[in-house]
Amino acid sequence: MDEAIDAVYSIGSVHLVDHIGGSDEGFDIGAPLEHSSKASERLLKVRAAGKELGVNVAKMAYNPEPKPAKKVRAKIKGSEVEALEKKVFGIIDERNAVQQRAAALAADLDVLRRLSSFDVPLEHYSGYRSLTVFVGTVREDPTKALGAVGITDVLFDMPKKAARGTVLAFVPNEGAEAASATLAKHGYTEMAYPELTGTPAEAVPGLSDDLAKAEARIEELNLELAKLSEEYATTIAAFDEELSIMVEKGETPLRIAVSDYSFVMDGWIPTAEVDAVSAALDARFDGTVHMEVQEERGRKLEESEKAEKRFRDPPTKADNGALGKHFEYPTSLVSTPKYQEIDPSTIIGIFLPFFFGLMVGDLGYAIPFIILGAYGLKVAKSQEFQAIASVLFFGGIWAAIFGFFFFAEMLGMHFVGAATETSTTWEALLGVTLPEWFTGMFPSLDGGGHVGISKLHDAVFMLKLSVYIGIVHLAVSYFLGFVNILRQHGFAHAMHEKGGWLFSLFGISFLCYGLSLALFGPEIVLTDMAIRTIAIGAVLIAIGVAVCWKVEKSHAIMGLLSVMGNILSYTRLAAIGMSKAGMALAFNYMSILMLGPNGIVGAVAGFAVFVVGHMMIWVLAIISAGLHGLRLQYVEMMAKFFAGDGVKYDPLAIKRVHTEVLETEV
Amino acid sequence: MAAEIGTGMVAIAAGLAIGLTGLASGLAERDVGAAAVGAITEDATLFGKTMVLMVLPETIVIFGLVVAILMIFVM
Repeated sequence: MDEAIDAVYSIGSVHLVDHIGGSDEGFDIGAPLEHSSKASERLLKVRAAGKELGVNVAKMAYNPEPKPAKKVRAKIKGSEVEALEKKVFGIIDERNAVQQRAAALAADLDVLRRLSSFDVPLEHYSGYRSLTVFVGTVREDPTKALGAVGITDVLFDMPKKAARGTVLAFVPNEGAEAASATLAKHGYTEMAYPELTGTPAEAVPGLSDDLAKAEARIEELNLELAKLSEEYATTIAAFDEELSIMVEKGETPLRIAVSDYSFVMDGWIPTAEVDAVSAALDARFDGTVHMEVQEERGRKLEESEKAEKRFRDPPTKADNGALGKHFEYPTSLVSTPKYQEIDPSTIIGIFLPFFFGLMVGDLGYAIPFIILGAYGLKVAKSQEFQAIASVLFFGGIWAAIFGFFFFAEMLGMHFVGAATETSTTWEALLGVTLPEWFTGMFPSLDGGGHVGISKLHDAVFMLKLSVYIGIVHLAVSYFLGFVNILRQHGFAHAMHEKGGWLFSLFGISFLCYGLSLALFGPEIVLTDMAIRTIAIGAVLIAIGVAVCWKVEKSHAIMGLLSVMGNILSYTRLAAIGMSKAGMALAFNYMSILMLGPNGIVGAVAGFAVFVVGHMMIWVLAIISAGLHGLRLQYVEMMAKFFAGDGVKYDPLAIKRVHTEVLETEV
Repeated sequence: MAAEIGTGMVAIAAGLAIGLTGLASGLAERDVGAAAVGAITEDATLFGKTMVLMVLPETIVIFGLVVAILMIFVM
């Protein structure tokens, strides 16, 4: 069994299904392998030692020089873990002891300093048969009050600015009770004093000498620990990793079925890798291991519903193309896709950067985004930063395309055109006239008035554009939902659940377009065109509601409103672009005002406003454009077809960071 | 004169449309956001779901924005 587990781990593509005790006759859950308990004991030791040394293995995510696994195993077998533990805890124990002693010394010193104004040797504080001695601190001078009850052998000292005074009183036994009561009224707290000889003042230097020595020793031991930590950090990481692997492998029998003479591992293997796994097992065990493919799960939900409970949900192995791979993280933030459904990562990969680019839409902001994104893709290790970097990179490319060819804009200023009272253009700013062919590349809505689409002047056009983009995006979402249900349940189901909504979506689009034609003029005019579009819309909605009715009931009508809400939600594409353009306009206006007549100071101040302002817009762009783009994917798109709650494909495999298996030892 | 007053009224109305809806979105998001942060601290895998809930109230202000823009550019 030991070797079989080893083999399955080295193949690395078997997603094990946990055996449930009692589900197969004659089989039961296995027991951990022999070496496993020793390994977990050692693992605890390594982790304890690592913790004391401040070595955080989890944070050492990257190791340029992994140690050979074979050597690490040999060291573990040679009890080096125990040796390390002994070494570390030897120092730790000594440090604890010294620390304790130092604390006691410090407390004694404190007491002695308080008593040092009394010239009574410490050996005289105790050992009387007829006298009770009170040593302690009080809030205020008790001498008078004690004198009133006939006790006169009282020493009291209260240093200036001290909160509490020190009292030393020698009281005959018969007066002890009265003295105790009187002292209590003055807030008396007894003080433990060290058992030494000589006056307190004489004892202070010796004790403070001891304390200094103890503190020096603690310092020394700390240095020693720091040295050990540096020396053993990589070793501890290697031990930790190797032992974790041993423990994981050793505990695998707890997940499989074992009988008296044999054992069975149930697991999922990607269809494409079945032959390879089978061949690898045959080669290693010479035919003594029997591998059998029980079933090939299709994408229909029915198949899963019929299966035994533990085999019901096959794991999902993400299989996205070059683009989709970068966007698996946003999907995983919502949930792992089910085995039977479409992974939305690729769609997110297409639309998220597109939306981001449309919202940013400025060449000046796009270039830093592309550079930062490319750098992040190259450097970032964690999945989160990879995802952010890919949005910045691909989004930056779209932003550059939109910024140049569509908006013809850089840092909030158009390339071409004349300056106006509040805004300027690059042509006007630099005092040049750009060549005809360059100017001719850009679209213009008002026949040459503005070259390039202006986010602020052409607001209505931008709003319409974003609504159209929204309709396309929503249609894609409903279509994906349709395909999902088609695969899971068949055509009729798919029509009832998603197909009808597609009709309704287009119906609403036509209806609203017709209404806007009729209503948004200076006065309400029902043209032929408007009437026709409204009629088409109404018919499509009627078909949509009728098709959906079987599954959705009254929601088929109520949902129409939310579809309209979804469509309007895309107007944020235009709105966020507008808000950025507005801010850029304001900063440009301010800096140009300062630049003009105010000499050097004005130039510097204007330039500072320009730089800081655009930096701010740029940073805000990440937050607003990125998050709103993502929201459109999550709320408007994925809600239409994505169910999630899948099981992530997690095959038995070993990931080594701090150790490596060399070719020679296989 | 009447036309000028009319333009001013449109501007005020547009401002009210965006301002009031913004306030409403803010109030709603305050509550959702506080609960969402609490939920995420308990279980980080809830991020996606809470994010969806978090941005739902934004729809209100977007409608306000659309109305405001239509007022200014169409009326």
